[in-house]
Amino acid sequence: MSKKRSRLGPPWLFVAPALLVYAAIVIYPSVAGVVYAFTDWTGIGDWSFVGLRNFDTLLHDDQSLGALKNTLLLTVAIVVVQNGIGLLLALGVHARIKSRMVLRAVFFAPVVVSPVMIAFLWKYVYNPAPDAGLNGLLGAVGLGSLRQDWLGDPSLALWSVAAMVVWQNAGYSMVIFLAGLEGIGKDVREAATIDGAGPVARFRYVTWPLLAPATTINVMLSTIGGLKLFDQVFAATGGGPGYATETLSTVLYKQAFVFGRYGYSTAVALVLALFVAAVSLVQIRYLRAREDNA
Amino acid sequence: MNRYRPRTFVLELLMVAAGVLFLFPVYALVTLSLKDPAQTAKSPLALPKPPTLDNYTQAWSSASLGGALLSSTLITVVSLVLLIVIGSCAAYWVARTGTRLGYGLYILFLLGIVLPFQLGMIPLYNLFSRLDLIGGYQSIILFYTGIQLPFTVFLYTGFIRALPQEYAAAALVDGASHLQAYTRIVFPLLRPITGTVLILNAVFIWNDFFTPLLYLAGSDKETVPVRIFAFVGQYVSDYGLVFAGLVLGAIPILVVFLVLQRYVIKGFASGLKG
Amino acid sequence: MTATDNGLNRAQFLRLVGGLALGAGVPGLLTACGDDDASGGGSTTLSLIGVADEKGPLDVLTKAYTDGGAGVTFKTSYAPTDQVTTSVRAQLGGGNAPDIHVLYPGAGNTMSTVDLGKAGLLADLSGQPWTASIPANLKASFSYDGKVYLFSSGLTVIGAIYNKSVFSAAGVQIPKTWPELLTACETFKKAGKVPIALGAQTQWVTQLITYALVAGYVYRDTPDFDDQMLAGKATFLNSGWKQSMELYMSLRDRGFFNDNPNGTTLEQQTAMVGTGQAAMAVQVAPLLPAFRDAATNKDDIDMFPFPNADSADQVYTWGAANVGVGVHAKSKNKDASLKFIEYLGQQENMNKWCEVVAAIPLKRDASSKVDPALQSFLPLLDAGRVAPVGSRWPNAEVQPTHFSVIQELLAKKITVDQALTKMDEAYKKQ
Repeated sequence: MSKKRSRLGPPWLFVAPALLVYAAIVIYPSVAGVVYAFTDWTGIGDWSFVGLRNFDTLLHDDQSLGALKNTLLLTVAIVVVQNGIGLLLALGVHARIKSRMVLRAVFFAPVVVSPVMIAFLWKYVYNPAPDAGLNGLLGAVGLGSLRQDWLGDPSLALWSVAAMVVWQNAGYSMVIFLAGLEGIGKDVREAATIDGAGPVARFRYVTWPLLAPATTINVMLSTIGGLKLFDQVFAATGGGPGYATETLSTVLYKQAFVFGRYGYSTAVALVLALFVAAVSLVQIRYLRAREDNA
Repeated sequence: MNRYRPRTFVLELLMVAAGVLFLFPVYALVTLSLKDPAQTAKSPLALPKPPTLDNYTQAWSSASLGGALLSSTLITVVSLVLLIVIGSCAAYWVARTGTRLGYGLYILFLLGIVLPFQLGMIPLYNLFSRLDLIGGYQSIILFYTGIQLPFTVFLYTGFIRALPQEYAAAALVDGASHLQAYTRIVFPLLRPITGTVLILNAVFIWNDFFTPLLYLAGSDKETVPVRIFAFVGQYVSDYGLVFAGLVLGAIPILVVFLVLQRYVIKGFASGLKG
Repeated sequence: MTATDNGLNRAQFLRLVGGLALGAGVPGLLTACGDDDASGGGSTTLSLIGVADEKGPLDVLTKAYTDGGAGVTFKTSYAPTDQVTTSVRAQLGGGNAPDIHVLYPGAGNTMSTVDLGKAGLLADLSGQPWTASIPANLKASFSYDGKVYLFSSGLTVIGAIYNKSVFSAAGVQIPKTWPELLTACETFKKAGKVPIALGAQTQWVTQLITYALVAGYVYRDTPDFDDQMLAGKATFLNSGWKQSMELYMSLRDRGFFNDNPNGTTLEQQTAMVGTGQAAMAVQVAPLLPAFRDAATNKDDIDMFPFPNADSADQVYTWGAANVGVGVHAKSKNKDASLKFIEYLGQQENMNKWCEVVAAIPLKRDASSKVDPALQSFLPLLDAGRVAPVGSRWPNAEVQPTHFSVIQELLAKKITVDQALTKMDEAYKKQ
């Protein structure tokens, strides 16, 4: 069997160009970057090796540890809510409603706008004045008591940022779930209907298990996106108020380009990368196992 | 379940309501782009009265968006072609080689998705600088091709694994070369996932602001986001102008999405089995 | 699957891909065009990267310079502060810096005169005629180790930008002392106006009231406070900084700020004063144009020195060199770049730059048109009652720490003592 495969397998020339570009643009610079994690480089000028000092600093740095906690909270919120909403939207626009094609475009539209611009825009939406933006909208529909200081309240700011990200990316999740739904044959669901299963039971026992591959991709992509989230946070709050929305990516950025501690920032980047890799690996294992059981 | 029933109507209403809610920030974007600063100050999110197109004409002329659109298009299109060609070939090899090395390379490519790009940013810049590639299109196109390869290979590999092997195998048995089998038989079958790859990479490349600033600032090849961001100051930001530029810049990419929409969904659909 | 699900048919798709492939041939073409442009006519092309706030004056001055027959053309880029800082720093590190780039006065950030001067990345401007007009108490902001590296056209100040019609409607005169300010705020509050608009969501705005107060409550009595700090003989906690921060927070406790300053952006702050919802805002002078744009009537906007003293003749103002430009030490076009800087340093051009950004020229002559809103600052500047607070901090971490602790103070999460301790800790870092 392996003999047959190797004859039918394409020659390595197919992968060579990609490997070359990938090695030059991603692998080499990243490895070269890792070296700086063990130095005191400021980004310009000379540097010297400092051993593991940067990692030691990281372990005792309240700001970085706080950022780690924020990053995790933000990621969990984004993964759960974005995919939850994405699934509901997908179920909605998969149904036989007349506006489904228009709505698909509407829900996907935010995905194509630059994340930094989204943040500028949402600062108008999050205006804390009672008659402006989202607060004004809440007031207009009689929900005035829900008005908030969206980005200014340290206990709320992180969730406001999460909501903004969810708004932007729910359409992305929707498209993937929609793809999963289109992959489920109509006959399967019709068979279930004939068996007398109600919509809830049909979803629970037919649709949901068959959506497992879509769920895997969605959860994985939104986890990685959440852990690495930078543009929206930085443009919306810069990590504030205080340190309430500081994430690993904003700490990394500030250390490198605001404080001029490039070596230390690389150590943070390395930890972030290992962290993301570990989390995604565990997720893939678990979710793939779930797919196989389905 | 295919008939339009009262329950479907209720669902339709619910979904339209969700759509309206989703459009609120978009409404904010468009209204802000149609107002002068005094109107924006007075009532930022009310309907503009009278609406003014000044921001659009000014964004177009003072940001020289025409030239920037050309640069952006060029960079995006060439990067996409490279990504699609070398990404799909690599994925084909990874999916079909049937060796342990194939799996190893797949994992190596996946690693690229998790690495924060800041890690290699400075060394890569220095590399390009030593090769004297800064300020030209080559550096930025190479950058996007490399940085988006992992995601591209990931999407293509999943899709190809779900494809039946027989067609290509039959061609090979008939004496076709691997390249012929690939270009004539396999690549055409990749159309749906190519649509997905195209739109998702296009969105990223088109909107990226920082890399073109780093690689192209001070040249005549600046992209649309770089030109628009020139109006965001620490002290004085002309947001009317910025948002107008943003709307203009988003139109091409939205059009591409609308054209490729069904492909995107189908591409994902067929790739999920991977 | 219905027919519409196919979207593109095969022919359309191939045409699309064909179009893409065609696009691949274009870059060479365009690059060639670009090169022609640059080398045409034997003129020099200078690359210049600045922050967006410099776009206004530099657009005018680079054009005038080119049109004046200097044989120089420019390739300019402007972008938001954070991104410019990041990219220019990477370019400096990669040995690929633009000929002329944005430069901040003094020390304390990665693109500041002292930091880059120390690294040997800046060309010496010392011999140029305009350098004679740098005020003595600001020399440190322009130079490192005795050499001038920064070109800045003038000074910027912090003061209270106010809405005249709100003042006159409430019958309030311009407050000249701290007690008068408190009385004025009380009057506005009773009249249903926000006395002082504060947009602390925009992080750099958080520092302005501290600076405005510290200029008086620290530097009036201790003009060499920066030297004492650098020598390790003084701290934030045991200095006038404490009184200043307490006064800042007393304004909050008296309800003189808008609700939710931490969630309010600079744009919203500006709008509040412009539309007359608020009476004033403590801001830097370059924001005057933005406040005027936001106002129904541009003449309603004026500015006065922030009254940080119990008697009017003891008021000090925060004043410092405006953001400027420097020349890269290893620029291939160093001579041409230095000549352009000399051109910028001519009195009429300093005047032009300052007019656009509402700054006060380093040296004033009959042709200097100082913004009318800044007239009240001139006597203070001429008397040397000016302090460039925050321009000589030893590292780039003190300032962002200041932003964060102010937001935490406004949110009542920490005390003034805790805030200043954090700043002292940041100050001590390498």
